[in-house]
Amino acid sequence: MTTINRQATPQDPQEPEDGRTLHDDLHEIWGNPRGIKALTIVNHTTLGLRFMITGMAFFLLGGILSMLIRTQLATPDQNFMTPDIYSQVTTMHGTVMMFLFAIPVLEGLAIYMIPKMIGARDLVCPRLTSLGYFCYLFGGIILASSLVIEMAPNAGWFMYTPLSSSEYSPGLGSDFWLLGITFVEISALSAGVEIVVSILRTRTQGMALHKMPLFAWYILAMALMIVVGFPPLILGSILLELERAVGMPFFQVAGGGDPLLWQHLFWLFGHPEVYIIFLPAAGVISTLIPVFAGRPIVGYGWVVFAIIVTGFISFGLWVHHMFTVGIPQLAQAFFSAASMLVAVPTAIQVFVWLATLWLGKPKFKLPMLWVLGFLIIFVCGGLTGVMLALVPFNWQVHDTHFVVAHMHYVLVGGMLFPLMAGFYYWLPLFSGRMPSETIGRWGFWLTFLGFNGTFLIMHWTGLLGMPRRIYTYEAGNGWEIFNLLSSVASFVMSAGIAMVLIDIALHFRFGKPAKHNPWGADTLEWANAMPPSAYNFVSLPNIETRHPLWDNPDLPRTMAEGKHGLAVASHGRREMWGSDSITGKVREIVHLPGNSWWPFLAALALAVVCISLLTRLYPVAAVFVIVAGLFLLRWSWENGAHPKAAPDAEVNEGDPPLHSRTMSGPGVWAMATFSIANGSLFLSYLFGWFYLWTVSPEWRMPEASPLSLLVLVGAGVALTVGASIMEKLVRGLRARRDSGLMRGFYLSALLGAVQVGLVLWSLLSAGLEPTQTSHDAVLLVGLVYALFHGALAMILTAMQGLRVRCGYVGAHAPFEPAVVVQLWRYNLVTFWVLVGALGVLPRVMGG
Amino acid sequence: MREHNRAAPPSRRIQRASRRRVNLAALTVLLAALLLLAGCGGDHSILNPAGPAARDIRLIWFVMLGFGTVVFIAVIALWLYTFKKRHVARTPAQERRIGRRWIIGGGIILPTLTVIALLMFGVPTGKRMLTLPLDEPPEVIEVIGHQWWWEVRYPGAEGGEVVTANQLMMPAGEPVDFHVTAADVIHGFWIPRLGGKIDMLPGRINRIRLEADEPGVFGAQCAELCGVGHAHMHLHVEALPRAEFDAWLAARSDEALAELAAQNAAFDAARDSFTQFCAGCHQVAGISASNIGPNLSDVGSREALGAGVMAMEEGAIYQWLRNHQTLKPNNLMPRHDDLDNDTLQDLGAWLETLTP
Amino acid sequence: MQTAFKRLHLGHPAHLIIGLTLWSIWFVAVYGGLSVACAVAPPTPDQGSLTGLNLGLGIFSVATTALLVWLAWAGWKGGRELTGRPRFNALVSAGLYLFSAFGVVFTGMPIIGMPPCL
Repeated sequence: MTTINRQATPQDPQEPEDGRTLHDDLHEIWGNPRGIKALTIVNHTTLGLRFMITGMAFFLLGGILSMLIRTQLATPDQNFMTPDIYSQVTTMHGTVMMFLFAIPVLEGLAIYMIPKMIGARDLVCPRLTSLGYFCYLFGGIILASSLVIEMAPNAGWFMYTPLSSSEYSPGLGSDFWLLGITFVEISALSAGVEIVVSILRTRTQGMALHKMPLFAWYILAMALMIVVGFPPLILGSILLELERAVGMPFFQVAGGGDPLLWQHLFWLFGHPEVYIIFLPAAGVISTLIPVFAGRPIVGYGWVVFAIIVTGFISFGLWVHHMFTVGIPQLAQAFFSAASMLVAVPTAIQVFVWLATLWLGKPKFKLPMLWVLGFLIIFVCGGLTGVMLALVPFNWQVHDTHFVVAHMHYVLVGGMLFPLMAGFYYWLPLFSGRMPSETIGRWGFWLTFLGFNGTFLIMHWTGLLGMPRRIYTYEAGNGWEIFNLLSSVASFVMSAGIAMVLIDIALHFRFGKPAKHNPWGADTLEWANAMPPSAYNFVSLPNIETRHPLWDNPDLPRTMAEGKHGLAVASHGRREMWGSDSITGKVREIVHLPGNSWWPFLAALALAVVCISLLTRLYPVAAVFVIVAGLFLLRWSWENGAHPKAAPDAEVNEGDPPLHSRTMSGPGVWAMATFSIANGSLFLSYLFGWFYLWTVSPEWRMPEASPLSLLVLVGAGVALTVGASIMEKLVRGLRARRDSGLMRGFYLSALLGAVQVGLVLWSLLSAGLEPTQTSHDAVLLVGLVYALFHGALAMILTAMQGLRVRCGYVGAHAPFEPAVVVQLWRYNLVTFWVLVGALGVLPRVMGG
Repeated sequence: MREHNRAAPPSRRIQRASRRRVNLAALTVLLAALLLLAGCGGDHSILNPAGPAARDIRLIWFVMLGFGTVVFIAVIALWLYTFKKRHVARTPAQERRIGRRWIIGGGIILPTLTVIALLMFGVPTGKRMLTLPLDEPPEVIEVIGHQWWWEVRYPGAEGGEVVTANQLMMPAGEPVDFHVTAADVIHGFWIPRLGGKIDMLPGRINRIRLEADEPGVFGAQCAELCGVGHAHMHLHVEALPRAEFDAWLAARSDEALAELAAQNAAFDAARDSFTQFCAGCHQVAGISASNIGPNLSDVGSREALGAGVMAMEEGAIYQWLRNHQTLKPNNLMPRHDDLDNDTLQDLGAWLETLTP
Repeated sequence: MQTAFKRLHLGHPAHLIIGLTLWSIWFVAVYGGLSVACAVAPPTPDQGSLTGLNLGLGIFSVATTALLVWLAWAGWKGGRELTGRPRFNALVSAGLYLFSAFGVVFTGMPIIGMPPCL
């Protein structure tokens, strides 16, 4: 694959005398294996493409489902589908498009593009990329298979309880959704975490925050939003699955639960998700417009401002999906105002783009056509969005086809069109070939006209009062002609999409070979070979400008000649820069793990867990949870000074140390980022506890708390002592002292075991009846959370002791304890908060 | 920029593109006009209001539509113009100033003023649907959503609470407070021509105030996905002059309904079958008291059967009893295959006489 | 005051998120406080919008706004004296502080005229 276009690019290093180039050496270290071993590949370029291709396959599935929907609604009183099948189809259309298409494809684009744009050779946790991909693939297949056996979820893609509960959806449909989506979300979260760390810590030399390409800012915001935004849904899914599987009444009024809690948790995720989808797409627009306008973007700082504002405000809007549930009008007004506030950063971006075009010399190439399509559709969707933020209007059109139309304007306009623009723009990079302008234009116009025909009209259908999600309707309300028009146009759109996809597929074979940097872009990804090599760059340059390729057109050649940093391969390690998160100064050399079976095997084990939970084979699930855990631990074994990682720490004269020989490498950052996600899950849990406590209609608080405060405090003390020993050990390592290290780890692990034992005791002695009241069920979940985290800290710490014995960890390689100690800190904080919230507060406040 | 365009000169390409754009604009306008011509009517149309709340919202909609269209056209036109206009060389300082003007003017001032105006204008409208205290307490009607039918209760009726199903009678020309809830899953209570919707949640009571200007009939159907019968959950809403409404309520006092159910000895057999086969779920005043299925005490007087599935006419109840699983798939009433036609016809004929 | 702000290292990217984090905390506190108050001790509807609850929420909002405006002003003042990355950082942060202040005022406006618990 890497040879198609080698002559045309300056990426080829010059031949040294022995005939063996640096490229060959690097290729030997980084190159992809073939055959069955392709499952071990951890390379971001390959996995990014896999994400995108799999995502497009699910896009086709979702598209076919949408055509079924439009066929059913084309005429009144249709019998094409039964109501149950129709509900399955609409539920799956939304689910597939949101969870299996939009997010993974954009993540795939980020996974592919980010290291290339910031001058890195891979993402910072390559094995995690691979785990993420297989979790996505398996989860997607499990979810999609439910359609084949006509057991797909049918309660709507937001799964409102009680409709999705075991009483009203007794089949497996909801379980498919809850388990499949949670499984897929592992993928989103792992991608989110590693993208954050990659952007913050592995930019090439000198690339300070304010010199990053804007796309990296957008993706950074997206990844952070994934990290904070997905855990509420994961928690909600776990709770609902517990309710369905064992009858814990979190969302049942009679048991003291509340169906509205599900809606809060779902939309706490669901609204940010819209922006998780929109931000990377806007990032594509902000990347393309300067290139085609032939000038730097106007107001880089404004765009950064808009990105940050959007990222935050989007977490304050979730209730605008719930304006009709009977929340006090004043609270609704807060959310109404916050929803309108988000118009400001969006408008800023639209006008930044406009100003850039205004001051530049814009050229109308195929990608720009999609950008224009984006603008028209998205501005329209944004305007209806502001309308919907107005409470009284929302009360009228909520749950009608007006909302369906609005949502498609925002999502298709705000995601699909920019994605297509991005695809056409980066196709030469993917393949080394140019797309066809003619077929591309036809595809665009059919898609554009078909889309507007379908959904512009649908606004009107909604205003005429047609509710969403009805499988049929009677003639006589004036809905017939508009539904028919929508259906016809939707097929035009399908034809357009098909044409675009065929164009893209064909171009890999028949496209004209592209010249280097065909659009005259400014960003580093165009310094790659086309298609890129597995290691991206022969040498990593010093970048102090936002437009490296405009300011130094010679850069791709000198990079390929190995004239910049890290142009060594003799050590046989996969290496790139680890740099300061703010200034971009190089701090360490990050050495990356090579190809590995563990991510694939772990994902496979998790898939078995998922399937056995679905089929209610709980013992099998338990066994495979342990198997997956063992695979993951085995994976983490190959780190630090392990022979497969970096047994010797020698670096070139003048180069910084290897990251495993420092105390603050990217792994520390990854753990911190993961703790943010974990903390978001924990806060969602606390939210659930206090929410049910204060507003659940039939909440029952027992007279006296069933938890023994004494035992819990004892557990907390054990945890505190264990954590302070860990802190002391890490302080010692920082001063390069490792005497008593092993003993210290074992002692901490022992204290961790004491904590786990005491929590378990308080759990067993409490005599909870989690299937009777939601109060007991919530307590149970909280204690299990503490148990799980205590046990995890214990196991990881004991393993550190073992690794000290093997010589993989110590004063010479002090990195891992600095990672593990963060888990102890996290546990310390959350456990005491938990003791306060579950143990102390009920005693103070009373029922 | 080192990109040279060897194909058609850019200017011609842009012309072609903009010509297409003009065609597109013309098409859109034409389509919009057609839509408007097709009218805003219909029993469920938000744009065909029959009450003050719905009328206010329609006004908001048209104002927003007008303003939105202006903004939309202006933004798109500006964008397209950038491809057309001649490039002017400017100093960096000038460029910065122009850029800042665009961003502050279009990105900050425009949306800020718009949303402030919208809130000032829009928030008071919502107040009308709040159940604020009135000098004269309004009529209260309770509506309870079931899979897949509506239970309607009139707690304020003079002769004791009146209960009916799948039809909602309300006094016209005065505000009415609806207290809504659900018996099973979440449903949505919405009478589009009168005003906004409110969710019906199990375990909670939500309130909304609506008013019909004139007597009339309004369409309504469940707005929140509630399972396989969601599409077949219609509600017949009718506003009556106050006096007629009072009379309607009075005719449905318990005694009056019980008397109605007991009359005409020819239906004794039907009453027996009802007690045997139907009374476990349905109520007919004076005969049974169950509340699982719709109350049938005045079923003969209703406009439709099966929550709007078929019109009420002679023999309709028999048709419904025979074919209800085909007419309304998956509804929760069991099939009556074990009952012969005579029994069902008899039952249907009796039930049709329950017209107070 | 400016010196106090300088000690916060204007070049630090934390400023990029502090403003909106404060906005978020304010938002959660106001929404949460309102919900809890309405669930525990709702004022009677005939009090209209002149309740102690509205007053409390209003004072809290004004205080938050004042803090954010001060941060924005100090960031702007300090940022103009800097160059390079710290300047970029300080000016964007000042903008974000200002926006957060605006966000509190704008989102909190309904506190003035609406009854709290209906």
